[in-house]
Amino acid sequence: MINASQQLSRRRFLRNAAFASAAIAIGPGSWVIRPNWANATEGPIRLGIATDLTGSLGFAGNTDANVARMIVKEINDKGGLLGRPIELLIEDTASNESVAVGNVRKLIQRDKVDLVLGGISSSMRNAIKDVIISRGKTLYIYPEGYEGKECMPYLFCTGPVPAQNCDQFIPWLIKHGGKRFAMPSSNYIWPQTINAYARKVIENSGGEVIFEEYYPLDQIDFSSTVSRIISNKVDVVFNTIVPPGVSPFFKQLYEAGFAKNGGRLGCVYYDENTLEMNQAHEIEGLASSLDYYKALTAEDPVSAKIQAAYDKQFPAKFRFSAGSAATGTYRGLKLWEAAVKEAGTIDRDAVAAALDHAKIEEGPGGPAEMVPGTRHCKMNMYIGVAKGGQYEIVARSAGLVAPKEC
Amino acid sequence: MDTLFIAVFEILSFGAIVVLVVLGLGIIASMMGIFNFAQGEFVLLGAYITYLVHSIGFPVALGMMVAPIAVGALGFMLEMVVVRRFYAAPIVAMLGTYALGLIIREAVRGLTGGLYLSVPEPIGGSITVGALHFATWRCVIVVITLLVIAASYALIAYTSFGLRIRASLENPSLARVSGISTSMIYSVTFAFGAALAGLAGALIVPVFSLFADLGIRFLIQGFVAVMVGGIGSFAGPVAGASVIGTFSAALPWLMSPVIADVLVFVLAIIFIKFRPQGLVSRRGV
Repeated sequence: MINASQQLSRRRFLRNAAFASAAIAIGPGSWVIRPNWANATEGPIRLGIATDLTGSLGFAGNTDANVARMIVKEINDKGGLLGRPIELLIEDTASNESVAVGNVRKLIQRDKVDLVLGGISSSMRNAIKDVIISRGKTLYIYPEGYEGKECMPYLFCTGPVPAQNCDQFIPWLIKHGGKRFAMPSSNYIWPQTINAYARKVIENSGGEVIFEEYYPLDQIDFSSTVSRIISNKVDVVFNTIVPPGVSPFFKQLYEAGFAKNGGRLGCVYYDENTLEMNQAHEIEGLASSLDYYKALTAEDPVSAKIQAAYDKQFPAKFRFSAGSAATGTYRGLKLWEAAVKEAGTIDRDAVAAALDHAKIEEGPGGPAEMVPGTRHCKMNMYIGVAKGGQYEIVARSAGLVAPKEC
Repeated sequence: MDTLFIAVFEILSFGAIVVLVVLGLGIIASMMGIFNFAQGEFVLLGAYITYLVHSIGFPVALGMMVAPIAVGALGFMLEMVVVRRFYAAPIVAMLGTYALGLIIREAVRGLTGGLYLSVPEPIGGSITVGALHFATWRCVIVVITLLVIAASYALIAYTSFGLRIRASLENPSLARVSGISTSMIYSVTFAFGAALAGLAGALIVPVFSLFADLGIRFLIQGFVAVMVGGIGSFAGPVAGASVIGTFSAALPWLMSPVIADVLVFVLAIIFIKFRPQGLVSRRGV
């Protein structure tokens, strides 16, 4: 009751309003990293990164920004691109589409960037792609693994899509798990689309889908689902529930004795970050299908080199992992670098034409190349199985896997 | 039949979790008349402290004991510094506490790197009865919830401190005239509510893992529970939380979970429309 006498006077209101508007006007600016030698005649090439530095996807966005910093430093140290330095402009999309559109517009209109790479969720891509491509007349690279079906011109995707996730993975699950599949899923576009694809592969490979069910994104109690899985004697759970629900779901599944009775967990997006959401024994034997695992560094010197370079520059908690789109960002920027070199210019059409068939020999997990005419990327795929809190690579594709998109 | 046993146990245990989370919110709303939008973040903070204690090498159980004390102390301090300035304006209080919550949430997000971190339960595994498995930690949560409800009820209904709290709520002026320091009572009540949230966070973190948005998930459910239960008494929010928790956990067994999620809120709105005072309408205990 102390404050009862303090009424909101006009002076008080004006003072508060002045503070508030000053705070809004100053605001947090964008993060610009200028190259040390901006003396080239044409000025630097401007590379825009629009990613989720804050909000729920901040752990991934910061990783992607770090990867971009690493690559830009590498290119600039070698003398730049086309003899020009690269200026890196990083904008926060804040895991929030309406904030993102404004910040991306800044990159396009104020900073006039030559490329935008970024966006992590599909909804983010859909929110910013028009600002970048149609109105912004700029090239856009989307680095995260996603549901596919994005065929817009000037939009290049460098993460794995359902065909790459599933074609090798589902036959493996049938062989090492069984034929009876359950597909518990979060209710949004990625699970819906990948399930439609996975169901076809399951049925063509001789498996059957016992049930496919969708849950609200914030559901965190899955007792009825777990009970159905156990009572229907499901062999393989092909999970597309995403955080925060996935960790209580796996825990409840473990507690109900699913793994003990020989059940196999399959989850295409599981990487080193998601691994620590549960205690190791709860997800022992979980199989995942991605384009890169840290475990690869033991056998692939290129991956080892990239991982070591990243860990040396960014020893903090943002891990270089496939699920964070770190590998897609790496691939995307390197493919773009190759395309700019081939085109000899940063003109959008010329770079897009070169990017359409760009190739890189060295990347995390192996080489990568664009499939001409599809704006999607061929890459190596691996199956990792969780053992004692680490991944063990148990299978790898026999070469680059085609995305089968567009 | 087996499925029925499992269903009843799971519904009961999730109901207990919701009651535990809502209890602190309900006490602050009922005994102080303000809605604390930072309550979800007090839950988060309890979870984070448990994680912190575990990560520096101490047993999780110790973290669970430290969490309510630390969160309660923080609540006491926040009440003294921030919240008490808002008692005259309940709407501003909502915004103010929301801002506090936002600060706590984003701080925890920064500290955890936005990741999802697991915390082991002090008593793990499951109790096996025939072919049925019951998670041990969920059983523990049910028992602790019952104990906490009983202890909180006893505190408010039978102790002289509880009497002072109720007096300060019913008639603050008369309470002050009678020599009760209402501002101290408010501080302590707020701290008590915060401590309960901290305890809830500490107990549920092994079940749901630690992530920055842990609190928000329960905040909305908590408010609906308090609305349904009725403000002004101790029993109201507890009853409301039991009903909401039971419905949230039971409906997905009967229908598509996406519909069940919405239906809980639709039913709550219809109920409040016809009984705006909530399940328990009397004031006091």
